[in-house]
Amino acid sequence: MRISKGALLVVIAVLIPFVVEFRTALSWFGIELSVLESLVLGGAAILAVVLWAVWPPNGNAEAELSGSR
Amino acid sequence: MNIHKYEKAWLVAAMVLIVGFIATITYGAVGPGIAMIDDDAGSIDPNEISDHERFGETGVEHLGGNEYEVDVVAQAWSYSPSEIEVPAGSEVTFYVTSRDVTHSFTVVGTNVNTMVVPGQISEMTVKFDEPGEYGILCNEYCGQGHHTMEGLLTVVPEDEFDLTELSTDAPREVEAGNETTINATVNNGMQDGLETTATLEIGEQQYERDVTIDGEGSAELTFDVDTDALGAGEHDWTLTVDDHEESGTLSVVSETDGGDTNE
Amino acid sequence: MEVTRMSSTASRTYLDQFPAEAKVIKAAFWSSFMALAIGGLLGLVQALHRTDVLRFIDSADYYTVLTAHGILLAITFTIFFLVGIFTWAVTTSLDRGVVDIRFTWAWYIMMVVGTILVGVSILGGVVDAIPMYADVLFTFYAPLQAHPAFYVGLVLFVVGSWLAGADWFRTWWAWRKENPDERIPLPTFMALTTTLFWYLCTLGVALSILVFLLPWSLGIVDSVNPLLTRTLFWYFGHAVVYFWLMPAYMMWYIMLPKLSGGKLFSDPLARVVFVLFLLLSTPVGIHHQYLDPGIAEGYKFIAMTNTMFLLLPSLLTAFTVVASMEHGARQRGGTGYLGWLKALPWRDPVFTGMALAGLMFAAAGFSGMINAGMNINYLVHNSWWVVGHFHLTVGTAVALTFMAAAYWFIPQVTGKELWSRQLALGQVLVWFVGMTFMSNAMHRAGLFGMPRRTAEPQYQGFNFDPAVGTVGEINAQVALGAVLLTVALAMFLLNMVLTSFNDDSDSLPANTYAGTLSGPEDSPAVLDNLKLWTAIAVVLVIVGYTLPLASIVESGGLFGPDIGGFQLAIETDPALVLESVREVMP
Ligand code: HEM
Ligand SMILES: [Cu+2]
Ligand SMILES: [Cu+2]
Repeated sequence: MRISKGALLVVIAVLIPFVVEFRTALSWFGIELSVLESLVLGGAAILAVVLWAVWPPNGNAEAELSGSR
Repeated sequence: MNIHKYEKAWLVAAMVLIVGFIATITYGAVGPGIAMIDDDAGSIDPNEISDHERFGETGVEHLGGNEYEVDVVAQAWSYSPSEIEVPAGSEVTFYVTSRDVTHSFTVVGTNVNTMVVPGQISEMTVKFDEPGEYGILCNEYCGQGHHTMEGLLTVVPEDEFDLTELSTDAPREVEAGNETTINATVNNGMQDGLETTATLEIGEQQYERDVTIDGEGSAELTFDVDTDALGAGEHDWTLTVDDHEESGTLSVVSETDGGDTNE
Repeated sequence: MEVTRMSSTASRTYLDQFPAEAKVIKAAFWSSFMALAIGGLLGLVQALHRTDVLRFIDSADYYTVLTAHGILLAITFTIFFLVGIFTWAVTTSLDRGVVDIRFTWAWYIMMVVGTILVGVSILGGVVDAIPMYADVLFTFYAPLQAHPAFYVGLVLFVVGSWLAGADWFRTWWAWRKENPDERIPLPTFMALTTTLFWYLCTLGVALSILVFLLPWSLGIVDSVNPLLTRTLFWYFGHAVVYFWLMPAYMMWYIMLPKLSGGKLFSDPLARVVFVLFLLLSTPVGIHHQYLDPGIAEGYKFIAMTNTMFLLLPSLLTAFTVVASMEHGARQRGGTGYLGWLKALPWRDPVFTGMALAGLMFAAAGFSGMINAGMNINYLVHNSWWVVGHFHLTVGTAVALTFMAAAYWFIPQVTGKELWSRQLALGQVLVWFVGMTFMSNAMHRAGLFGMPRRTAEPQYQGFNFDPAVGTVGEINAQVALGAVLLTVALAMFLLNMVLTSFNDDSDSLPANTYAGTLSGPEDSPAVLDNLKLWTAIAVVLVIVGYTLPLASIVESGGLFGPDIGGFQLAIETDPALVLESVREVMP
């Protein structure tokens, strides 16, 4: 893990207002996302963060071990 | 007192921000001239609203040119009047007061939004450029029916707007052969003169009359109706002046079956 | 200096140090939690009712519910928690107990009695057996008129809080005698400055109730000047928001740095911030009356300017708190421009709750700046935008900080370990997410004109026209947020109850708060001159309020033009569909 589990949860929680506000912000540029599209977008962002968090920092197994305490 | 240099920078930035805000708001007040609701319209005794020069009669009033005044009384849980019509391109000054508790007078989607405090008169002037319909609502809690308090403001194209009022006075029943008249009063609420025609249709007959009324004036119209030509029976009539219409029914009875005059 | 003193008391809980005070504080916290539990549940009822997701109460009763929600959460929940925290702060930082614990219990009981009176009179709105009426919302604008018990209850509650303040002052004076040359410890300084502006601002509402509303509700006088009592309410009504906020600020200043593993960046600046609040909290109330008739634009402009300057202490706080957190993170081995964020103790619900509360307060700052903008206020005044705004401020910055603080305080005052840290962490996250949904939707709804305080914001003659999405989507988002918030509330209460029954008391943290990097010795002594600051605050209030009040009295009379009380109810007799207006005064 690159960040602690607690931190990961916090990052996901904090991501949500960004996804919600992103939808509002896009509409100023004439792009209107539906609720479903926003959900998909939010899901993708969360997935990306989770992947980033659990991925070993530099590919080798030792790093993963030391990083995932 | 020692202040860290980042802290100093932040302090300066914060002050710049604050002064910037004050500057933009000041600009809003003097540039585009967004005035705040204030105490210009004075106070009022809520028990004397009905006798008040402004609120004794509520509604739209023409002040001349493209300027209008709208007087509104708010009370639980309605506005008087609840429907308001003004022409596009006009400058409208609203005066609002309350008969009972605190309300608001809020035109949805516009800058027209004021508290309506009993004892006080709210005054605000707005320009409506485009025709359209706007909801009016009360956004201050005013008792159990608060959520039912609403109205409608319609901005109509300038050439469709007038302040003409039409009222009629006509008999319900007349004996065949007798002369009868349908009387109408046309009121012109505008400051400018009004030139138009009044049309009365009754049965197959049609009468037309040219009307010219001064600003703030009224005209009495009398239509002599030829009952012989109508014949016995019920006759619907309609009197039209511009897009104002009044209608009624005139029954022409023959002398023999008369007597049903328990009106 | 505090830091050294505190090491001597290390590993002792507050309960060990001050067992008698701990009991009062515990009682105050539980009063606060009870208000939160009931008030929060009513919030859910409101959210579901307004959005037409689920309506099981009569729309006429909605306003009884809303009165209870507003009073219980904005007044009862916040202020009971505050008196608990401040009593802790004063005794802990002075390292001495209160002068007379019976006095402490007396003010607590007075506040409880006040709350019960207010609560029962509100309940009269839905329970026929109680012949009282108080559907006047927490702003109780005349000529809406409540039962006298409602006003008496409010007065008792406020006087109770005055006595609490007197208690803190007495304790400080006693300490002063024993320590004549020492600086006021920071937490006590915060409690005292806050108390001072509380005295100053509650004077307005006390005047409004005792001189005007109570005699009027008793029939002793038969008229009020609605604009005058309204202005007196808002004279108090803005400062009260800072009253709620100050204990949260105190937590951010003296707990967050400690929890982050470091020290408070600057003690002097913290003092400056609290002095600024003392000076500026009150002469800004007219910014709630931007759209009121009968008040000249100039006075509104002055209130607006003061309000903008009131941003300063909050901006300074943002800096100090973030800087202190960064310092703590670096002590814990954090590195990099933003990399230090990773080193913060995110698994600690006390820390995470307060940090998220602070983050939401930053967002609230933006919508607050819009509200404060005098001319933009036309767009948002009394719309749901405002409700979205203050659920971020008092509903999250304050409430979430309090809940997070409770995870630390309840073990301190009960000697029992927190039942579950995981549940607690989950709770603060769910609250944050729930509030994100609810508040965002409320803000957006306000922008297209949806009004606040309205049981059924669905109108016969027109529809709202949202800039983005649909009204249905917005309603769904509010309902979703409200459900999440209620779940979070249940998680919180469950944890608190189970903690009270917890037998575990092995690894309790010691009763400490953060030391400072730059201590009081760096700050000019004049900062501690409370008399001076109070005098300036009084002058500012006189400058800000004399003229507007004088002109209101001049135009409407001290007691108004024969304005009686109203209790406006819909006639329930189906034969009489017409709404009836019931005037109660003869
Ligand atoms: C479960 C969490 C909560 C929910 C679901 C909730 C929901 C609501 C809703 C829907 C309204 C709007 C009513 C309307 O405008 O018609 C409201 C108003 C309000 N809420 Fe909350 N709320 C919650 C928590 C809180 C908290 C924690 C506080 C303060 C500490 C708070 C303070 C207020 C206040 C002061 C009002 C305004 C009352 C008034 O207009 O008179 N709420 N709440
Ligand atoms: Cu209303
Ligand atoms: Cu305020």
